[in-house]
Amino acid sequence: MALSPRYVLRETGQNLWRNVLSSAAAIITIGVSLWLFGGFFLFNYAVDNATARWEGGIEFVVWMQPDATAEQDANIRDSIDTSPAIKEWIYVDQSQTYEEFREIFADTPELIEVVSPDVLPPSYRVVPENPDADVVAELSDQFVGRPGVEEVVSADQTIRDIQRLADKVTRVFLVGSVILLTAATLLILTNIVSAIRSRGAEIEIMKVVGATNWFIRVPFMLEGLVQAVLGAMGAWVGLRVLDDTVIKGLSEPDSLQLMQGFRVDQGEFYSTSLLVLGIAIVVSGIGSAVAVTRYLDV
Amino acid sequence: MIKLNNVTKVYKGTVVAVRDVTVDIAKGEFVFLVGPSGSGKSTFIRLLNREELPEHGTIYVAGKDIGTLGTWRVPFLRRNIGFIFQDFKLLPKKTVAENVAFALEVIGKPRQVVRKQVPAILELVGLAEKIDNFPHELSGGEQQRVSVARAFVNRPPILLADEPTGNLDPQTSVGIMKLLDRINRTGTTVVMATHDRSIVDTMRRRVIELDRGEIVRDQARGVYE
Ligand SMILES: Nc1ncnc2c1ncn2[C@@H]1O[C@H](COP(=O)(O)OP(=O)(O)OP(=O)(O)O)[C@@H](O)[C@H]1O
Ligand SMILES: [Mg+2]
Repeated sequence: MALSPRYVLRETGQNLWRNVLSSAAAIITIGVSLWLFGGFFLFNYAVDNATARWEGGIEFVVWMQPDATAEQDANIRDSIDTSPAIKEWIYVDQSQTYEEFREIFADTPELIEVVSPDVLPPSYRVVPENPDADVVAELSDQFVGRPGVEEVVSADQTIRDIQRLADKVTRVFLVGSVILLTAATLLILTNIVSAIRSRGAEIEIMKVVGATNWFIRVPFMLEGLVQAVLGAMGAWVGLRVLDDTVIKGLSEPDSLQLMQGFRVDQGEFYSTSLLVLGIAIVVSGIGSAVAVTRYLDV
Repeated sequence: MIKLNNVTKVYKGTVVAVRDVTVDIAKGEFVFLVGPSGSGKSTFIRLLNREELPEHGTIYVAGKDIGTLGTWRVPFLRRNIGFIFQDFKLLPKKTVAENVAFALEVIGKPRQVVRKQVPAILELVGLAEKIDNFPHELSGGEQQRVSVARAFVNRPPILLADEPTGNLDPQTSVGIMKLLDRINRTGTTVVMATHDRSIVDTMRRRVIELDRGEIVRDQARGVYE
């Protein structure tokens, strides 16, 4: 009673080949929609990574010198702690900074090897009461050049602008990909329905000689699955290119200082790829389930 | 082998195609279903195959009450029933051998079985020479032989035929009937709907006559009338 793999492959292959053009249309649509969908995730990861330091309302960071004395440190801490303009603050010590550093440079172990916690600067990450750019600038200026302070970096308007822009752009990606995914589902559905229609005679014979439902259905469902998986593979290539060119390009060391850390690490890339494959399988599952249950009654 | 108890089939709530039919068909019988157009012959046959479900009554086929059969078991019921169509229903892009093999492949028969049984059945129906021809290269009679081969290749105990000679000339029809007769003599139960007077009158088998869905005559060694 087992489905012979030879039979299933032959039938699925014939179905796909009979409608190469519409199969290609479905594959391309799935590919592009999944690419946009994956791109949404990659950009979000990259923006998160780039602005990680600036989350939770942190508007500026006071980087201490690694060899600042305890007295210098206490001095700065006291000013921050007592300032009425500062809502809250976090102290990130050298080992925590090292952890951050390791995360950011996970892909370049050479770099991690030559760095040890004691050469990294500890920092105060400051959340002011008033996030207005001018107020923040004035506040952060008070720490510039004080003994033990290496530098003061603020998340000025530009970062916020980038976050907002990235938000908008990725939202367009998401909406576009959802619309295209719907189109892809419908394309898979119509492809399977037209395959079912063009094989009406075969299906009638199959039913009359006692082929099981699953035997009749599986080749059609597999057709949808193959289209979706091929689309997902196309999307992977597209996402690789997106990561290698656009995202890596934006974080090139000599481009905008602000875009440093705008990157996607391996784990994030692979989980996005898996997600894309999962969505492909779900989409083809919906398309073929509707097709075989609505148009292939027994 | 086949048993109907007070079976009524109503289409669309108004058309009574089969009305309160009770009949018993034993294993190995050859039964002609006759009656005017619209009298319910095709419906009778479709009920046996569970293509239709009756509104009332019970139907036993091969020892099973097919009204209570789960949907998933219907295919297994149909493996016990060969079906011959008036218009052959051969797949035009498959050769004679492939058409017959298809019936075995789609019920998951292994390749060795297919390779053995297909030539054997084509030999039986007298088409050994035409094994690699396509349906359009065959005469109507030859096409119907392929269709008989496809219905019988799995050696089902029951064969249903809805006007199998309806599209054939009298001469060719005789050939098909000889074939069905041979198959019947192997112990296969055959139920055949027909309008062909001369066939019924020469074969002299059991005749069940329907009129407006009711059995009006059930005669052993009967005639068309
Ligand atoms: N699918 C259907 N839907 C509605 N009515 C149907 C359907 N099939 C058959 N009928 C009706 O049921 C009645 C019996 O039809 P059936 O096809 O069984 O007759 P028949 O004896 O096979 O006729 P013929 O000799 O012309 O083939 C007819 O009145 C027909 O119109
Ligand atoms: Mg009829």
